[in-house]
Amino acid sequence: MKILIADDERLSRHLLQKTLERAGYEVTAVENGRLAAEHLCRLDGPRLALLDWVMPELDGPEVCRLVRQQRKQVHVHIVLLTSKESKKDVVVGLESGADDYLIKPCDPEELKARLRTGLRILQLEDKLVEAREDMRFKATHDSLTSLLNRGAVMELLSRELVRTRREKASITILLGDVDHFKQVNDTYGHAVGDEVLREVAKRLLSSARSYDLVGRYGGEEFLIVLNNSDARYALARAEQIRNAVARLPVQTTRGPLAVTMSLGVLASGTEGPCSVEDILYEIDMALYAAKAAGRNCSKLVEPKFACAEPAAT
Amino acid sequence: MCETESPNVQVVLNIPELLAQLEDDRALLGELLEIFKEECPPLLRSLAEAVSGKDARVVERTSHNLKGMLSTLSAPRATSAASQLEQMGRTGEMSGCRGTLTILEAEVVSLLVELENCLETAEQ
Repeated sequence: MKILIADDERLSRHLLQKTLERAGYEVTAVENGRLAAEHLCRLDGPRLALLDWVMPELDGPEVCRLVRQQRKQVHVHIVLLTSKESKKDVVVGLESGADDYLIKPCDPEELKARLRTGLRILQLEDKLVEAREDMRFKATHDSLTSLLNRGAVMELLSRELVRTRREKASITILLGDVDHFKQVNDTYGHAVGDEVLREVAKRLLSSARSYDLVGRYGGEEFLIVLNNSDARYALARAEQIRNAVARLPVQTTRGPLAVTMSLGVLASGTEGPCSVEDILYEIDMALYAAKAAGRNCSKLVEPKFACAEPAAT
Repeated sequence: MCETESPNVQVVLNIPELLAQLEDDRALLGELLEIFKEECPPLLRSLAEAVSGKDARVVERTSHNLKGMLSTLSAPRATSAASQLEQMGRTGEMSGCRGTLTILEAEVVSLLVELENCLETAEQ
C-alpha cells in the first residue's frame, strides 16, 4: 500500500519512513505541504497520508482542505501529526478534513495500528464503490446479453440526437430484429433462444465501433446507433452488420442454427424537430418493410418519413 | 548505560523510549545520529542569530524545528528548552531567550555525547 509522509523535519521524516517501510508500506516522503498536495491530488496518488501540522508553503490542515476539494472520487485517509495537544487544535485539524491525528513523536505500534484502521476504512470504501458500480451496470444493462438495456440506449440515443443536431453531424440508427425467432424458441426451447440472443449481441458488438451504441430494445430487437456515420454509407454499414450476424451459424447446445436479421435504417434525418419516438416509429416502418421484402435484408427509411424543418409559412 | 536509564527521570536522553521508537533498530540509531549532526548545528546558529537580532518569528520557527528533532530523539531536557524558546518567539516575550538558548546549547552537547555512547554500547 502506498503512503505519503510529509514532514519538513528531516530526522522525523527519516524515522517515519523507515518505520513504515519495515511495516511493508511503499513510502513517498516529501518535505513540504505543496509537494504533499501534488502527490495526493494525483489520480493514482497515495490514499494514505501522514502530514505534519506545521510545514512550509502549505501546512497540514491546508493540505487536507485542498485534497478534499480536489480528489473527490476516492477517499484519502489523512492522519495529522502534531505536537499540538489542545482540544481546539485537534478540532481545527479534524474540521479541515483530517481523519485522525497523532501526537509526535508517535509510538510505532500505535502509528501502525492507526494506519491499519485507515486501511480498513479504505477497503470498506472500495467495496461500496464496487457495489455501486455493479448496481449502476445492472440498472443500465440487459442481464441476458450485457448490452445496454432499453432505457439506457434510449436515453443515450436522445443525447446523441441533441449532440448531432448541435454539431450538425450525421448519425445512423438501426433497428434489427432476429428473423423467425419465435420458431427458435418454439422448436428448441427458450434456453436455446437465449443462447441465440447472446451470440447475436456479441456479433453486433464486435461489428460496431467503440463509440457506437448497441442495446437490446425488446425481446429479439436490437437498437444500434452509429455516431458520426456518413449518411451515404448507412445502408452499406447496415448490410455489414446484417452479414456479421448471418455469416456463420450460431453454435447452440442443440446444434448449429442459421440466424438472420432484418434491419430498418435511418440515416441522419436529424435536422428537424423529431422526437426519439417519431424517429423510432419511422425506423420501425422500415423494419416492417424489410420483413415484408422477405427478411434477412436492410431497408432505409423512405424519404417521405425523414424529419425536416417545418416549412416556413 | 543503555539499560540503566529510567524513563521517568528528566534525563538528557531517554534511551528506552528512543529504542522503543526505533523498534530496537541500532543501524537506524546511527542514521538518525548522522542526520542530527548535520541538521542541528545550522539550526542552532540560526537560532542564536535570531535571538541576538530579536527576530521572534525566526526564533519560533527554528525552535519548533529543533523541538521536533529533539523530541524524536527522546531528549526531554533539550526538548523542554527548545519548547520554551518557541513559546518566547510566539509571544514575543524575548527577555529570557539568551539564557534558555545557553541551556539548550549545553543540552545538545550532552545529548550528542549520550547518543554516541548509546550507539557505541549498542554496537558492542
